[in-house]
Amino acid sequence: MRTEDLITTLARQAGPAPRAAVRRRLGLALLGGLALALGLGGMQAGSPLPLPTGEPAFWLKLGYTALLAGLALAWLQRLGQPGQAAGPGPRLMALAVLAMAGLGLLSLAALPAGARLGTVWGGDVWACPRNVLGLALPVFALVAWALRGLAPTRLRRAGLAAGLAAGAAGAFAYAFSCPELAPAFVAVWYSASIAVAGLLGALVGPWLLRW
Amino acid sequence: MEDRPDAPDARTEALWRLAQAGDEHAYRQALQALAGRLRAYLRRRLTAQPDAVEDLLQDILLALHLQRGTHAPELPVMNWALSIARYKLIDHWRRHGRRGGDAVDLDSLDEHEQPSVDHEAGLARRDLARLLARLPAAQRRAIELMKLEGLDGAEASARSGVSVSALKVQVHRGLKQLAAWVRKETP
Repeated sequence: MRTEDLITTLARQAGPAPRAAVRRRLGLALLGGLALALGLGGMQAGSPLPLPTGEPAFWLKLGYTALLAGLALAWLQRLGQPGQAAGPGPRLMALAVLAMAGLGLLSLAALPAGARLGTVWGGDVWACPRNVLGLALPVFALVAWALRGLAPTRLRRAGLAAGLAAGAAGAFAYAFSCPELAPAFVAVWYSASIAVAGLLGALVGPWLLRW
Repeated sequence: MEDRPDAPDARTEALWRLAQAGDEHAYRQALQALAGRLRAYLRRRLTAQPDAVEDLLQDILLALHLQRGTHAPELPVMNWALSIARYKLIDHWRRHGRRGGDAVDLDSLDEHEQPSVDHEAGLARRDLARLLARLPAAQRRAIELMKLEGLDGAEASARSGVSVSALKVQVHRGLKQLAAWVRKETP
């Protein structure tokens, strides 16, 4: 077939570009994944725990993970549109992680020296990455599916961003059943779990997101 | 000369905006302008596989069409198209190697042995028409009515007894399937 004929064929009755749907697609996938993760997290926790809504540290935990998820989503939207620059997303995410680390350090400084290590280590350290990654998995599947319908041209970066978004959403969902409140614990283990989710995403991105 | 003056690009830009809003005539012209630039882009990078240029170009044009919703309106359309072309080119290299499996060093050949590239023909080695015949009947019919005969949604719907939105879905799925086959077959 001649290229000229292909162009004629493609243009015929093409109609307007489906633009609005593209922009909504990733956000809807992330929200859907989040709802799924919240449901799964709630089921896993069994009877609904009384949430420590009076504790500022609880809201800090939710705010931190929600912020990271939002920034990763903004980055993803741009990665799904070929030719777009990265935008402020990645830098703001790094800033948020640093700010959280600063808060964690400040809160540790207020504790007596003997209690610091125990606060960072928490009750069950491995429960955090295990749960965050477990809850991130369905979110990642949805986000990756949505991303495949767009046109990511930098697959490793897109995988990283998708992993970070899913990790942050998983951490947000886990925050409701996680007994740890200390900012130092959140700064270390939440951040690390989200980073691992991002690395796993970057690992499978080039293979999973090809189109 | 790698870059042409701004004027043709400004024209492409204007055509593309009309095309995105649904102007079929402008869309064809915009695709032609993009194809010209992309062909030059590919030819410079596929000097060892000149036969692959037209196949890859058609692969990219299909991708541009299927993904045209991902063009951010604030970006120059050429940036968007070149990003996709670059992605497809790297994908092509990854699957076939930079020089192609049966590549011969061009410098070792006599003038009359050099591969000729017909700049005007734009003929791909792969035959899309043959691939079209492999599509499921509903998708092929939808593409034939709307894309080959050029009927509008209402006419095509009346002729086939299928709703307009279902026809559009079939066209989109059919083109996606074609793009997937093209990807596999690109030599």
